[in-house]
Amino acid sequence: MNRWIIGLLVLAFFSVIISVSAGDEVSFSEALSVLWHHITFGYGIAPDPIADRIVWQLRLPRALLALIVGGGLGIIGTAMQTLVRNPLAEPYILGISSGATAGASLFYLGFLPPLISKAVSMPVAAFAGGLCAILIVYSVAGGRGHLSVTRLLLAGVAVASLMGALSSFITLSSPEPDKLRSVLFWLLGSLHLATWSALIWPSIAVLIGFVSLIVLARPLDGMLTGDESAHSLGVPVESIKRILIVLASLVTGSIVAASGAIGFVGLIVPHAVRSIVGVTHRRVLPASFIAGAVFLLWADLVARALLPGAQLPVGIVTALCGVPFFLLLLRRSSYGFG
Amino acid sequence: MRQVCLLCLLLIGCSSNFPEGRTVEDDLGRTVVLPPTIERIATLAPSVTELAFAAGAGSKIVGVTTFDDYPPAVDSLPKYGMIPTDFEAIVALDPELVLASEQVNSPKEADIFSSIGIPVYFVAVNTLPDVPRAIRTLGDLLGTSEAATRRAIELEDSLAQLAVLTADLSERPRTLFLINDVTLYAFGQGSYIHDMIDLAGGYSITQTLTTRAPVLTDEFVLSSGPDVIVGSFGPQYDVTKLISHHSTWDIVPAVVSGRIYGLYPDLYLRPGPRLVSGAWTLAQVLHPDAVINP
Repeated sequence: MNRWIIGLLVLAFFSVIISVSAGDEVSFSEALSVLWHHITFGYGIAPDPIADRIVWQLRLPRALLALIVGGGLGIIGTAMQTLVRNPLAEPYILGISSGATAGASLFYLGFLPPLISKAVSMPVAAFAGGLCAILIVYSVAGGRGHLSVTRLLLAGVAVASLMGALSSFITLSSPEPDKLRSVLFWLLGSLHLATWSALIWPSIAVLIGFVSLIVLARPLDGMLTGDESAHSLGVPVESIKRILIVLASLVTGSIVAASGAIGFVGLIVPHAVRSIVGVTHRRVLPASFIAGAVFLLWADLVARALLPGAQLPVGIVTALCGVPFFLLLLRRSSYGFG
Repeated sequence: MRQVCLLCLLLIGCSSNFPEGRTVEDDLGRTVVLPPTIERIATLAPSVTELAFAAGAGSKIVGVTTFDDYPPAVDSLPKYGMIPTDFEAIVALDPELVLASEQVNSPKEADIFSSIGIPVYFVAVNTLPDVPRAIRTLGDLLGTSEAATRRAIELEDSLAQLAVLTADLSERPRTLFLINDVTLYAFGQGSYIHDMIDLAGGYSITQTLTTRAPVLTDEFVLSSGPDVIVGSFGPQYDVTKLISHHSTWDIVPAVVSGRIYGLYPDLYLRPGPRLVSGAWTLAQVLHPDAVINP
C-alpha cells in the first residue's frame, strides 16, 4: 500500500465526519453523539429525534452516496481513458448518461405506457435507457469481430446527441410543466434523493466494478501501450475492451440512476491522481476511487452550504470547482499519458 | 407606481387631445408608447389574461397562450405557444398591445414585438395588494377603468374581510408551502405567497430564504418543523405520497397531526385575481373553525 492511498483514506474518513456534522441545524457534538449512538447500537442517551433523523437518515446516506458515486466515476473514468487511450475520455463518453437521462425523463414525465411505468421505477428506467444507448453504440462499433475505438467514440458522441435531443423533446412537450423542475434538478446531477435503500444498487455495482478492474490491473497497463503491442504482451485485447464496456455501463447506469449525470468527476480525478501516483492501474484505480469519492463529498458539502435552507445540484459545483483546478493541473504538471 | 396611475388618469381624462398616443411606464420601469385607444390585445401568460378579464377588458383579448384555461371565455379564443413564444401567430392576430408577465416573460421578447411596432406592457405581481393595483392599472390602460375599479374594490373588500377574521387569532400555524412533492421547490423571499399565508392567519417558514425559488432540503423541513404543509398538488393529491417520499418527516408536527393538504394549483401559482380566493381557501385550511364562509 502506498502512503498516498492511506492518506486519502484518512482524509475520506474525516470528510465524512465533517459532512454529517456541517450545517446550522445540528451542532458538531450532537452529530457525533448521534453517530456514536448508532455505531454502538443504542449505547448511551438517545439523541434528539430531529438531530437523529438529520444526521443518520439524511446526511450520512447522502455522504455515503457521494463517496460511492464519486469513487465509481473515478474508476470508470480511469477505465474509459485506458480503453480509448485518450485523456479526454470520461464515464459518460459512450452515451450512457444521455441514455439514462432519456429513460428517466420518459418515465418521470409519464410518457411510458402505464403497463411499463407501473412495473419500473425511475432508477430502473434510467438504467434501461443507459443500456439501450450502450447497446446501440456497441453494435455500431463492434462489427467484424473487432472493436474499433474510433467508431466507439464517434458512435458514443452521436448517440449522446440523439439521446440528449430525445430528453429535450420529452421535457419540452411534457403535459406537466411542474414536473419539469424536478427533472431539471436531477439532470444537473444531485445527491438530494439519497436514502439508505437508494445506496444498495450503486454500492453493489461500484463494488463489482472496482474488484473487476483491480483484477484486470495488469492487462490494463498493457492496453496503454496500444492494441498491437498489448496483444504481443499476451493481453486478450478484444475481450478486455468488451469487459470494460459492460463494467462501464453497469456502474455508470446505476450511478446515473441514483444521482443524475454528475459531470467532470470522472474526467478530472484520474488525471489528478496520475500526476501524483503514476500510471500503473494497481495504484491509479484505488487512488482514483478514493480521490473521486472525497472530491464529490466536498463538492456536495459546498452545494449544501451555498444557499441556506436550500440546495444546488452538485453537478454545478463539480464543474465550477473542478474545471479551473483541472486546467491549472494541465498547465503545471508535465505528466504524460500511457 | 402612484405616479403612473396618476399619469394614466390624467391622460385618460383628456385622451382626445392626444391622438398620437400616450407614454406610460410599465411595472418593469420600461417606457411604453400606447396607441390612443386599444381594442385588440394579446396576452403572454395565463395570469395576465386573468388580470385583463378582471379589469373588464376580456372582450378586447384576441388571443391567449396554450396554457390559458381561465376564465372559460378563453376556450373560444385563438391560442399560441409560449415556450418559446410563437411570434408569427401573435403578430397575425394584429394586436395593438401585448400584455406580458414579469414572472414568466423576458424583456427580450418585448424587443422583438417593439421592432414590429407592437408595444408590450409588463405586469408584476409580487405582493397580494399588487393584484387590485394591477387590475386598476390595466383598466386605465385599456379604457375600462370603471369595471376595473369595481372589481379591484371587490377584491380589496374580500381581502379586508379575511384580514378581520384572521387578525386576532391566537394561533398562527407555521406553514410550509410546496410547489413539488419529490424535489422540494418552494417560494423564497419577496413572493406574494407569504402575504397569502400571513393573511390566512399563518406564518410562512420560507419567507426569509434569500433565494427566490429555493429547493428545500429535508433538513430544513425537519428542523423548522411546520405545523401545516400545503402544496399546489391539487385537492385530489394523495398525501401519503409526500410522506413516503420523505420518510424522515414522521416527527414533523404537520405529519404527526395529519395537517397536509393539496390545494388547487392555479389559485396559488398564477399571480392573478384568483389569489384572493386562494387566500380564503388557505385560511379555511389553517383555521377551519374561525374561517367558515368565503
